[in-house]
Amino acid sequence: MAELTYLQAISDGLRTEMRRDKRVFVIGEDVGVYGGAFKVTLGFQEEFGHWRVMDAPLAETAIVGACTGAAMMGLRPVAEMQFADFISCAWDHLVTVAAKQRYRAGTPVPITVRLPSGGGFSGGPFHSQNPESSFAHIPGLKCVCPATPEDAKGLLISAIEDPNPVLYFEHKHLYRRIKGEVPEERYTVPLGKARTHREGSDISLITWGAMVYTAEEAAKQLDDDGVSVEIIDLRTVMPWDKTAVLESARKTSKVLVLHEDTRTGGFGAEIAATVAEEAFEDLDAPVRRIAAPDTPVPFSPPLEKAFIPQVEDVTKGLRELAEY
Amino acid sequence: MAIAREAEPLGSLKEVREAGLDREDLLGVYRNMLMTRGIEERGHILYRQGKIPGSFYTGRGNEAGSVGVATAMGADDVGTPLHRDMGVHIVRGVEPWRIFAQYMGRADGPTKGRDGNVHMADSKLGLIAMVSHLPAMLPVAVGCALAFRIREEKRVAVGWFGEGASARGDCHEAMTLAGVRKLPMVFVCDNNQWAYSTPTHLEFATGHVADRADSYGFEGVVVDGTDVLAVYREASRAIEKARAGGGPTLIESVTLRMEGHAVHDDAFYVPKEMFEKWAENDPIERFRTWLRENADLSDDEEDEISAGIKKALNDGLKRAEESPLPDPSTLTEGVYATPEDLDTPHHK
Amino acid sequence: MATTETVDVVMPQMGVSVSEGTITKWLKQEGEQVEADEPLLEISTDKVDTEVPSPGSGTLTQIFVQEGATVDVGTKLAVIGGEGADGASSTDDVPEPATAQAAAESAAVSDAAATPPTTDTVEEATPAPAAASETTEPSSTNGKTFVSPVVAKIASEHGVDPSQVQGTGRGGRVTKKDILNFIESGGKTAAPAQPEPQTQAPSAPAPAAKEAPTPAAAPAPSQPGESFEPMTAMRKGIAEHMRGSLDTSAHVTSAIEVDMSRVSAIRAKLKKEYQQSYGVNPTYLIFVARAAAETLREYPWINGEIRGDQIVTRSYINLGFAVELQDGKGLIVPVVKNAETLNLLGMAKAVTDIAQRARDKKLLPDEVQGGTFTITNPGGYGTFHGTPVISQPQAAILGTYAVVKRPWVVQDELGEDVIAVRPIMNLTLTYDHRLVDGALAGRFLRDLREKLETWDESAY
Repeated sequence: MAELTYLQAISDGLRTEMRRDKRVFVIGEDVGVYGGAFKVTLGFQEEFGHWRVMDAPLAETAIVGACTGAAMMGLRPVAEMQFADFISCAWDHLVTVAAKQRYRAGTPVPITVRLPSGGGFSGGPFHSQNPESSFAHIPGLKCVCPATPEDAKGLLISAIEDPNPVLYFEHKHLYRRIKGEVPEERYTVPLGKARTHREGSDISLITWGAMVYTAEEAAKQLDDDGVSVEIIDLRTVMPWDKTAVLESARKTSKVLVLHEDTRTGGFGAEIAATVAEEAFEDLDAPVRRIAAPDTPVPFSPPLEKAFIPQVEDVTKGLRELAEY
Repeated sequence: MAIAREAEPLGSLKEVREAGLDREDLLGVYRNMLMTRGIEERGHILYRQGKIPGSFYTGRGNEAGSVGVATAMGADDVGTPLHRDMGVHIVRGVEPWRIFAQYMGRADGPTKGRDGNVHMADSKLGLIAMVSHLPAMLPVAVGCALAFRIREEKRVAVGWFGEGASARGDCHEAMTLAGVRKLPMVFVCDNNQWAYSTPTHLEFATGHVADRADSYGFEGVVVDGTDVLAVYREASRAIEKARAGGGPTLIESVTLRMEGHAVHDDAFYVPKEMFEKWAENDPIERFRTWLRENADLSDDEEDEISAGIKKALNDGLKRAEESPLPDPSTLTEGVYATPEDLDTPHHK
Repeated sequence: MATTETVDVVMPQMGVSVSEGTITKWLKQEGEQVEADEPLLEISTDKVDTEVPSPGSGTLTQIFVQEGATVDVGTKLAVIGGEGADGASSTDDVPEPATAQAAAESAAVSDAAATPPTTDTVEEATPAPAAASETTEPSSTNGKTFVSPVVAKIASEHGVDPSQVQGTGRGGRVTKKDILNFIESGGKTAAPAQPEPQTQAPSAPAPAAKEAPTPAAAPAPSQPGESFEPMTAMRKGIAEHMRGSLDTSAHVTSAIEVDMSRVSAIRAKLKKEYQQSYGVNPTYLIFVARAAAETLREYPWINGEIRGDQIVTRSYINLGFAVELQDGKGLIVPVVKNAETLNLLGMAKAVTDIAQRARDKKLLPDEVQGGTFTITNPGGYGTFHGTPVISQPQAAILGTYAVVKRPWVVQDELGEDVIAVRPIMNLTLTYDHRLVDGALAGRFLRDLREKLETWDESAY
């Protein structure tokens, strides 16, 4: 075990898989010589050569489309979007081509798209988004949102190994801020399995990505009130671990869903609806959502702070649920 | 003023032999063109009989373009043919009954009833199923070429698009990537002169679509898409150039759309004279005449070929109609691939 | 040149994911003059090494972070301007106005909060912050009546009436925890404390009961050797009810001795049949209950109630039976409704059923309500006398005690007194003297004894 940052863990996972499997290659803007905008692939081109660590033209459609073709030819492409926000330019190739190919034509498309996502550093409207719910809605795609370095490595390897198009949302705010023990050997973390980040008995807090840490801070404060909060880190938004969420919901009877993405149509809505449908008789309070408001992500710090759910917002929501 | 090279027609059997086709090959090309048209004509009948749900598209007038290019492809090459390129599926060996089953939404069609029309492909035959979003298959074809390049395989990818779809960004991005990486890629533009109801001058402002190739750093060629031999020669040149590491080529095959955009379109917007001119240039009739004049195609041979096609179509239709409709209980199966799906030669 | 103003030099964010930076070199030293935009220091981050241009002009008055140190983005590294070497303290002054203002504001707030609010303002103040938040959706402000799905489910599974449970949720709503605690403590005895709504009886007992706990509000500190356990909701309910009953009724107890020879003989005869055919046991209690129901028909006040300044009598008899719960830490009083309609077998079945379900916690809320007279049976442990407390708002409670063989003076066939051995049971009637006088109670007990000693098999 070594202590790695979240970013180093992603690099480590990618490097591990590229060393093990010659079919894996990386393509994206500035991933080669520069090592990627966030330096995830720093030093990769020296080790793997410029055909396996490929600087692409500024053409997200071509990047994801080419990954789809290369995957059908037997390779295991890993595309990097410089920012998750730019995935909109490649929407068609994920949603129209890759997602539907297995279902209608029987052809699997094993691609991984790495998406540096999330805000908290004045990235503004085009460098801060969390678009996982848009893709979780598309049958045929999988969406991964790791929160810890250990999961970041294990989930990335699983994503590459998976025979489907997988969107791997790596939260920029965690890159260098979060450190943790990461096994040195290759390992996988299964897609679709949640992790109990913290056990509790009074309220279930369902979240993922950077919000896991916001949730943790809030839960600690609730300890002082004698309220025990369980945090379920979903880890993958699609497929999502319904069993774990419902189990926790049935245990605590109070559920709060927290995400950094905007509220309406955010993935929290799906979770809340499922809990209401399948655990209604076990609920002791309405399911609560805490999410960003329905606006673009603003630039200026006070606006952005008001946009991203803060610890105080979560403690307030938890207290209201506790008192309900 | 054209920038792209304008290809000459092939004149004699000698030239054809130089291009790599013997007489048997030529009869095979003719047979494939007839089969292509035969399938689509049967499709029209089936559609009018109410046996084909949804809409129905054909490539009537593009048989030379599709068969010509496909004939030039190697067995290990791959392609992403579109809805005017039935000839590619025929040349690659897709059996007619499976195409009819696809048309009719049967369980034994290549997509098992999950997609219709020519939205199909047999990946074992080196083909990838198209989507409606044109020309989204170009970046995918470029990705195939990229895979060949990464693995240093002597294989080529062929991507089709129409002159209408040449307006979309996918086309530009695909050609950019293929160009900068000199990928083993051939772009084939079926310029059938109408994008649904929109004429070419409202789709692109250059003389030819192929004129753009120069700006991506590779060669552009304009070829008469009703001349199967010329198409074959240009496709062969481009494919072998790509295979040898010479990078991509853009072939613009100027062809015909002898019908409306789809069966529901009477194409009132196409001038009558244009249809008349197209009728005179029917690629199948043109090749038949050439074969009679240059390769001694006899009446007996013609009858034998026609009879063979007719029987294949009848047998194919019968078998397709025996195929069941898909079971609704299978609706949710196969949205996600399983690791077993990767157990194919491609994913070794 | 503004020597009185100060400018902070902070660690810049050299990229969206960069959280910290290292100072590699200060290009100016403390006391040196620096111009705006002039290179001031060099830093190194995960992504880049760069020079930091000075954010202002003036004297570099103080450097807070030395070369080689790694600090978070936004950390104050140095200050430019101010009054010489003491500039640092002047920068410390900068935030003060804001702090002072904030302090003043918070003081104002706490003053306001210190003013004793009226009940109305308190109640309004609580939901107000919630309403201000767009993400809050209190589904019901009437927390007392709203029952959440899980509480409804638990209530139905355990046969509990949620309205009997003390709620601690918003607006007094019964939470899952509340109802689980209630059940845990066998809380169904809370039910008898809730008789029919006393709309026309705002009588003295209620306030008295409320005031009673007040003196006990300050519990004694714990002593060595003492251990503590929390009072369950049921225990609290019993405590409150018992105290309230003594504060309400004028308790008097009369006792009578009953020769159970005849009952004993009939019981022995019926026992096998009852057990084999009906799975019930014709206990002495059943005979007493049957006889009591019969006797009560003739003593409506003993089956009655004082409600306000009215005396309530009834055409029916609902017999409550005090049942001890298994752990000995609580009791519950299920009610056999319309007991006057039951024969001996019916009574046996009804009492057996209700006692079993009481122990299994499967009573329905309705089955612990509406009693008109109660029988308690502490005799199982050999006690021969007691003074039970009336279950309010009833008028009396009958105690049954151990059947004991005693030397008993009887007359032989010649009319001579002789001593015989007889099974004797003591019965007590504890009654509310406000309604029932001693003579009435005496007559009731006499008649009851008569029915038991001369048990008429055909009649019962």
